[in-house]
Amino acid sequence: MSSLSSRLGTLRGPVEPKPHNARSLAALTANPGCRRRAILDAAGVDKEALAVHLGHPLPPTQSPRALSRGAQFEAQVKDQGGAELLSLLRDKLHLPLPEAAHTDLSVLGTSDRAMNVRHARTRSLILEAAHGKGASRTMLDHPVLELTVAGRPVFLEPDLVAFQSEGIFHVVEIKSFAVVDGQAPGDKAAGAVLQGAAYIIALQDLLTRAGFSPERVSTTLLLITPRDFSRRPMASTIDARHQIKSLRRQLDRLERIEDLLGQLPAGITFDLAYDGPDARTRTATRDRDDLTKALNTTEARYRANCRHHCQLAHFCRAQAHEGQLIDVLGSSASEDLGGIDTIAAALGLADGSRAPAPDQEDLATALRHAESIRNELFGGAA
Amino acid sequence: MQEPLDALEKHMQQLQQAMRQAQMQRDQALLSHLRAELRRAQRSYDALFDADGQAPGTEEPAATHPGPRAAKMPAREQVHQVLTLLTVPAAPKLISQVHEALFAGSLPTSRLATLRRDEERSYRSSPGARPYYLCPALTSDHLSPARALLTISVWPLEERIVGPLSARVHYLTSALKFTEAVQRLTPDPETMPLGARQLVHHYALNIPGALPADHHPQNPATAPDLALLREAAQQELAVHTDDDTHDRRDAAQRARQQLDEAGRLFGAPFQTARHLRSVT
Repeated sequence: MSSLSSRLGTLRGPVEPKPHNARSLAALTANPGCRRRAILDAAGVDKEALAVHLGHPLPPTQSPRALSRGAQFEAQVKDQGGAELLSLLRDKLHLPLPEAAHTDLSVLGTSDRAMNVRHARTRSLILEAAHGKGASRTMLDHPVLELTVAGRPVFLEPDLVAFQSEGIFHVVEIKSFAVVDGQAPGDKAAGAVLQGAAYIIALQDLLTRAGFSPERVSTTLLLITPRDFSRRPMASTIDARHQIKSLRRQLDRLERIEDLLGQLPAGITFDLAYDGPDARTRTATRDRDDLTKALNTTEARYRANCRHHCQLAHFCRAQAHEGQLIDVLGSSASEDLGGIDTIAAALGLADGSRAPAPDQEDLATALRHAESIRNELFGGAA
Repeated sequence: MQEPLDALEKHMQQLQQAMRQAQMQRDQALLSHLRAELRRAQRSYDALFDADGQAPGTEEPAATHPGPRAAKMPAREQVHQVLTLLTVPAAPKLISQVHEALFAGSLPTSRLATLRRDEERSYRSSPGARPYYLCPALTSDHLSPARALLTISVWPLEERIVGPLSARVHYLTSALKFTEAVQRLTPDPETMPLGARQLVHHYALNIPGALPADHHPQNPATAPDLALLREAAQQELAVHTDDDTHDRRDAAQRARQQLDEAGRLFGAPFQTARHLRSVT
């Protein structure tokens, strides 16, 4: 393990590893085939700094207004001991009337330094509730859970953990995107469920370590969102079993990163060679071509939706454009043309200037057919 | 006393004419300069006008402020008034909402932002100089200040402590007290002011059994059934009260043993809280 962490340390350079959060963990399940990202994530490399240094920064993903709207909605739902939330929990989880306890852990401080304390307190409260001892705990507000990712502890902050009298814990996620007529925007809901899956795994781990069955954590995520176009909250239950499984698989894979590391040439590093220790004033001095070369030793698998979860997406896209990879045409095109890598190869097959390999016969026929239709339509002029 | 006002009026008139000329000549720099000058003149005019306000005839119509006395009360007294009405610790947002619904004038939460710190500073510099202080509620776990909740120092320690169930108990109690006050002030539910109506509706939505069976969610404008709301709140309150009182009494006992006078009012400093936690 020590040799592994030292190898990862070499890759990262002499900077602190970038801590994961629920969002970045959720992103692990997206595009698992990308080895470049798997290695960068395992080593805790700051992909955003890398992208900025290489001149392909990702535009800011969330507007400050969206963030403040989210915070506002969360505050509204949790206001006055979670009054609105409690009605929803009673409705969805059939919480009995006496279970209305609300414990706010943010009194211990909300700064990053207080994370440790909050986690310890969350842990003891959850175990107390699981044992059925101590004061009654129904809603734990601002809890902090811990998950081990690539050998390092990561602190996660679920919106709320609810405990039910039958001894089942539920993870509650509050999101500010509207569910209109029972329909949530697909990508947002999927992201929320993945985040919830990370919390559920962390909670399961906590209970398993204390000798409880992981069954005591409900695999159903409770999602609180605004209803239709109003600010009234509504609750939906989402089965997250599938996401939990795939996230667990990815986490295990991060642990087994050795195989991927073994394929890298020795001495490779993604260190940006900062000229100072202060994060605000330092500048990266690493040679860009050299860094690009280092990145190219890892195999990237660019997908059109990479920009949703990987800060390096624009860099990979630029590379894919350069290499005329099919991937830049989007997922449906790359699925249709499975087995062909580049646009040039596809065009070659279509106009017959390139002989198809034995397994490409069908595809080549289809491409030639498409080409003939196109020629008929445009008279071959286009 | 009228001459300066006359002079100002004349000056303002000249400025306005100059502004129109500047606009015709499209001289933006001059225009903005004149506009600033006019604003300054207007301010001096207002100041003089108010100073003269004592003179008969120039008095502002008082009808715009139904309770000018209440509006001029210091924020801490307004908070005291609301807390006395609710009888339970409350967050600035609720205090502001209740104040707006029941009393004249508004009490924006921004005015309450520094209140807690000011009160504590005042207490520490000369303890007991004021008849009451606004203090934070204390958490039953750590006896440290709870987030955002305000109380009055003259309340018994038990009532200034919040346990796990207290948030719900406070919610239900405030619903009861608020509806009582609303009924006293506006016996006819049809004439209830908007702020009060919204708050009552919020309570009714989140207390089981508080909405009439024929309630239509699409039409929140219908007059709420206050009696039903009160009955529902009382029923749920009966479920929680015993446990909650027990928790709080225990915590209060601990606080009396562990904390000094200032600590019992403003909470244990965080270091002590950390120590307590490592022991338990």
